Amino acid sequence: MMQPYVDGVLSDEQVKEAKEHLAACPPCEKRFRFEVSLRHFVRVAATEEMSEELKAKLVGLRTTEG
Amino acid sequence: MSESEPTATEARRLAEESRNRVRFEEEALELSDQVYRVARRLVGSREEAEDLMQDAYARAFRSWQQYQPGTNLRAWLLRILTNLNIDRGRRVQRSPDLQPLEEGDYFLYNKLESTLPDENPDEERVIEKLSQNSVVEALAEVPHDFRDVVVLVDIGEFSYADAAQILDIPVGTVMSRLHRGRRVLKKNLAEKAVTA
Repeated sequence: MMQPYVDGVLSDEQVKEAKEHLAACPPCEKRFRFEVSLRHFVRVAATEEMSEELKAKLVGLRTTEG
Repeated sequence: MSESEPTATEARRLAEESRNRVRFEEEALELSDQVYRVARRLVGSREEAEDLMQDAYARAFRSWQQYQPGTNLRAWLLRILTNLNIDRGRRVQRSPDLQPLEEGDYFLYNKLESTLPDENPDEERVIEKLSQNSVVEALAEVPHDFRDVVVLVDIGEFSYADAAQILDIPVGTVMSRLHRGRRVLKKNLAEKAVTA
């Protein structure tokens, strides 16, 4: 249930249940925060920006004038 | 009826179509940064990602009329891109070995935590044990059927339903691949964190 909770796909009732459990269970609470931080860390670490050259090439593929 | 009337109607239609096409191309280009971030992690190298982006945008600009206005354009562009990626013969690899991953969901946490001296560290300290490179490598080593889903949902922030549509697989398959893909990712991260 941890992953669906982090993904925000649980029903209202399940969210309530998860919150109640986390409030009463410090180890799970801590791991929940870890999961959220990990997700964020992975997204930021895996981000690589597109080069200006590629951006210009994509613009060059246009069939219409901007 | 004079001949000028249908011609005028036709001219208006063409003018409108051309305006729509300009708007489509502008909107697609505005999304290119976001599309690239996903594309870059779907493939192993920057060169591949750049080729794929150019092929995908060339195709999108040609097939622009197949896009349904009002639907998710970023998902539509990524659907073209993932199809091209699969067409490139990438999918020769068999389904990844499905031997069970023994490690539980908290394997990574426990492993990282055990490398810290304190008794009860907070999660930011635990995360700091990971490096940016280890994330990139750990992700690249996830078998691609699983990686596609993890990249779309965790990096592209697509919903399960959008990921299902992009990859043309059922939502249940998205969920099971996501579950497994994330576990493999964590296992890879745990290995890298310890050897680092």
